[in-house]
Amino acid sequence: MTDCVAAHGCITCGDEAIPMRVAIVDSERGLALCSDAEGRRSSVETALVEPVQPGELLLVHAGTALARAPGSQPAESAAVGETAP
Amino acid sequence: MRFVDEFRDAELGRALAEEIHATVEPERHYKIMEVCGGHTHAIYKYGVDDLLPSNVEFVHGPGCPVCVIPMGRVDDGIALAREPGVIFTCFGDMLRVPGSTETLLDAKAQGADVRIVYSPLDALRIAKENPGREVVFFAIGFETTAPSTALTLRRAKAEGARNFSVICSHVTIVPPLRALLESPEVRLDGFIGPGHVATVIGARPFQFIPEQYGKPLAISGFEPLDVLQSVLMVLRQLVEARAEVENQYARVVPWEGNPRALEIMDEVFTLRDRFEWRGLGFISESALRLSDDYAEWDAEERFAVPDVRVADPKACQCGEVLRGVIKPWECKVFGTACTPERPIGTCMVSSEGACAAYYNYGRFAREREVV
Repeated sequence: MTDCVAAHGCITCGDEAIPMRVAIVDSERGLALCSDAEGRRSSVETALVEPVQPGELLLVHAGTALARAPGSQPAESAAVGETAP
Repeated sequence: MRFVDEFRDAELGRALAEEIHATVEPERHYKIMEVCGGHTHAIYKYGVDDLLPSNVEFVHGPGCPVCVIPMGRVDDGIALAREPGVIFTCFGDMLRVPGSTETLLDAKAQGADVRIVYSPLDALRIAKENPGREVVFFAIGFETTAPSTALTLRRAKAEGARNFSVICSHVTIVPPLRALLESPEVRLDGFIGPGHVATVIGARPFQFIPEQYGKPLAISGFEPLDVLQSVLMVLRQLVEARAEVENQYARVVPWEGNPRALEIMDEVFTLRDRFEWRGLGFISESALRLSDDYAEWDAEERFAVPDVRVADPKACQCGEVLRGVIKPWECKVFGTACTPERPIGTCMVSSEGACAAYYNYGRFAREREVV
């Protein structure tokens, strides 16, 4: 998992989630083994985003997946920047 | 990595910066608060502020989870860590946050069993591996982190883990923003909203900012292009005399938040009447405690927590930094007595703290400017 090195930040101490790829799903226990960009693996709570599939990219903070990371590009992001309904 | 690299594209960044330069009115000065420490970190790490016109100023907000924890609460944690038989677990940054006389790291060096965890679930695992010990988790953070603690407590309850408890210091983002907007010493024109808090609570709770205070806000992602685009969205609103909640991070943030996260938080937590914030004082209904259904897992019920109140050291100006009244480098002890290696104040501890972010990245750009 991410080291607590100030220069690189820490996904748990901060208020930011990081993208992690689902490798193995344990739906019975509500957990998934996920890996981050550097290939470090950890167990992640998936209760907030279930059901999840291997290969999906999740936004994970403090060991819990908060959302799925969708497939938008930056150029598309301007178009989908929404105003309140 | 996909969803990361494309939001760091230099060419797109330059194009956005040019658009920002073309949008601003030269005679106006714009003060935009980035609420979240993650944004502060990104701004300094990627030099986002260097790309902006000189009349667009970032004001760093109170959204760094470690920075807003008052000294007394650290002392409470240290007192629990020193209880016989206790394994005290916390996120890494909390280890170095100064209490009134020492840090949790000092307590660990003196024999207290203090362990770093990366998630509350790790703390629960330690409890299951040590059935003869009491395991306490020091829960800090905003609504981004609170669901994780809530899910772990629900799991602890379901599994009957009686040797696990939580000292709950979770805080909520709306009350301090309201306090800042009510403060006469802080003048702000708009806000960059916290993207991952909003992933949980949605964009809707920020509507009071345009509706009641007439200020624009753009919920933002955390990559440099996200921040630049959010700045542009806020500036466009200001130039067009609009005030709305806009969602730059719509690829992740739903207007209504994550209903499952809100439901579990509602089950496990209840609002405290008031809570002390570093630099902001006591704010009503701004923090969470465990609900009556989870009282059995509440460390404040299980142990005699001293409930310490301690004034910040006189030399430390974290309070003014957190209120956006001064810049990190304007603090008297910044970079001299207070450094990331030997922090006096919380803002120098966490990489999301304005002082640490500026110390690690921003000061080099400033030194170039001064020279």
